[in-house]
Amino acid sequence: MKGRNLSITELEHLALKMRRNVIDICMQRGGYAGQGVALADLGASLYFHEMRPDGKGWYHDVFVNSNGHDAIMCYSAFAEQGLYTMDELRTYNADGTDVDMSPCEGRRGFVITMGSLGQGPSQAAGIAYGERVRGSDKRVYCLLSDGELQEGNVWEAAMFAGHHKLDNLVFLIDNNDLQAGGNTRNILNVEPVPEKFEAFGFKARRVNGNSIPEILDAFAEARSTKGKPYAMVCDTKLFQGSPYMQTRFPTAHFVQTDMETWKAGLAELEGLIAASHADAE
Amino acid sequence: MLLPADQPGVVAPFDDVTIELCRSNPDVMIMTADLQPYVDIFRVPKERPKQFLDVGMAEQNLLSIGAGISKAGFIPIATTFACYASRRAFDQMVICMGTGPRTCVVIGFTPGITSPARIHHQSTEDLAMTRAVPHATVIDPVDATEFTQAVRASVRQPGLVYMRGLRGTVSRLLDPEKYVFEVGKTYCLRDGGGPGIIATGAGTEWAIEVSRLLEGAGIDHALLHVPTLKPARQEEIWRFCAGRSRVFTIENHNIVGGLGGLVAEVMADHGGGPRLTRLGVPDHWAPGGSLGYIRQSLGLDAESLARRIKEAA
Repeated sequence: MKGRNLSITELEHLALKMRRNVIDICMQRGGYAGQGVALADLGASLYFHEMRPDGKGWYHDVFVNSNGHDAIMCYSAFAEQGLYTMDELRTYNADGTDVDMSPCEGRRGFVITMGSLGQGPSQAAGIAYGERVRGSDKRVYCLLSDGELQEGNVWEAAMFAGHHKLDNLVFLIDNNDLQAGGNTRNILNVEPVPEKFEAFGFKARRVNGNSIPEILDAFAEARSTKGKPYAMVCDTKLFQGSPYMQTRFPTAHFVQTDMETWKAGLAELEGLIAASHADAE
Repeated sequence: MLLPADQPGVVAPFDDVTIELCRSNPDVMIMTADLQPYVDIFRVPKERPKQFLDVGMAEQNLLSIGAGISKAGFIPIATTFACYASRRAFDQMVICMGTGPRTCVVIGFTPGITSPARIHHQSTEDLAMTRAVPHATVIDPVDATEFTQAVRASVRQPGLVYMRGLRGTVSRLLDPEKYVFEVGKTYCLRDGGGPGIIATGAGTEWAIEVSRLLEGAGIDHALLHVPTLKPARQEEIWRFCAGRSRVFTIENHNIVGGLGGLVAEVMADHGGGPRLTRLGVPDHWAPGGSLGYIRQSLGLDAESLARRIKEAA
């Protein structure tokens, strides 16, 4: 597993590789490619910088992914960590695979059964509360989506976390203004998101979810925030960082397309990785 | 193992067993959603405050926070009324608590028709719902002796445990010196020929009343108590049924999907068996009011139940 404290350039390079992995995995049988690509910067920052290793091949800190389809981002990181091989991950969305599109508790790398939306934040808050009672310094991170904020359970969790001043808990909101049926702002507007969490006792900050420096800065702020949980509202755009795919599928919740298109997307990212590698050298 | 009739009740047995568990195991976490005194939690918050958590009036949160607590290494015992634990937070119970190996105990109080508040506070479908959850353990205890032992057993059971809870002054029917609760086991409370009665939870208390009436009338019968609806020892149920011409189930639940459903499934799986009459809440809403009134309205008072069985005997 990669250690912590990679440089921003190294993290950006890793995020490109994660994007490439997302396309490679999803091109087999379709998948949640847009979310995976858009969340690569947040995922790289979380898995390769923010969360502390436990020295036993996994993490001391806990990541709870609430939103099942965002598991594709986790898989793209797991390929870089060696938790899964790319051959395994290419069985994503195949019959009989263990690489669930929306994983259940006990699958390698996943803590909860994801995908029944709105339930991750409470479970993360429960873990954070339990770890604090134990006297542990574990930090708990929960990724959820803006559409998920429409679930009442999220706000029960927020009220609990604020009341108990769970400063070992960070909510990461993938604020992409998209949900299954269209734009979040049109279906049921969730904004202003940071202010809502502040009203529930959080310290909250809106960041560009595709800026690793901004994400790292917010993580540092979260770590130094005492007596309050933290909400990082990450504004993202589907397929951000993969210009070709973003032009083709700006709002696709799930992508299934012809192999030629996938290959063009993959080739563009291979080119960006090569250029990034040359830059790093 | 049955005690003679008219034993004094036990006041708040849940308070006794929760403080006992918390004292002996620091990982037990007693949880509630704004119902602490209404589910008989008194001493744990005072004596073991770190092992008590009230999440406020939020049952979905109760069960999803509880699942998180279990993932931090604790054993949550989440308490609320049965109607809320099941109907209101069923997805959280199943998805957050019921899909992994960690022990998560949910105790639903005032089950079935034991709440006076019509429909919304009654729960006559919780056993059917939870019985359909793979790998879950579902227990409907009859009295203070069994409830106490079942709560002790629940914290050693992997995965989701859904149990109906008993509060206030709880009947003492089983001899604590002789009765040993075991998950899944069935208990023959009266051996005999003639009609067989199979009962669970408060239904077993009603069945014991019926059994005494039948005995007084000289009618031979047998009574099997089935506290664990899941995992059920189907062979034990079948052995009790086989060779009889009539079997009656009695339960504090809709006759759909609970104990009556279980026994019907057992018989169907064996390809037949005696004629089965399912007694419980018929498939419509029960009235509100006192338990005596509700039982009488539904034909679940001892005299009405005994009459049904006598007519068939």
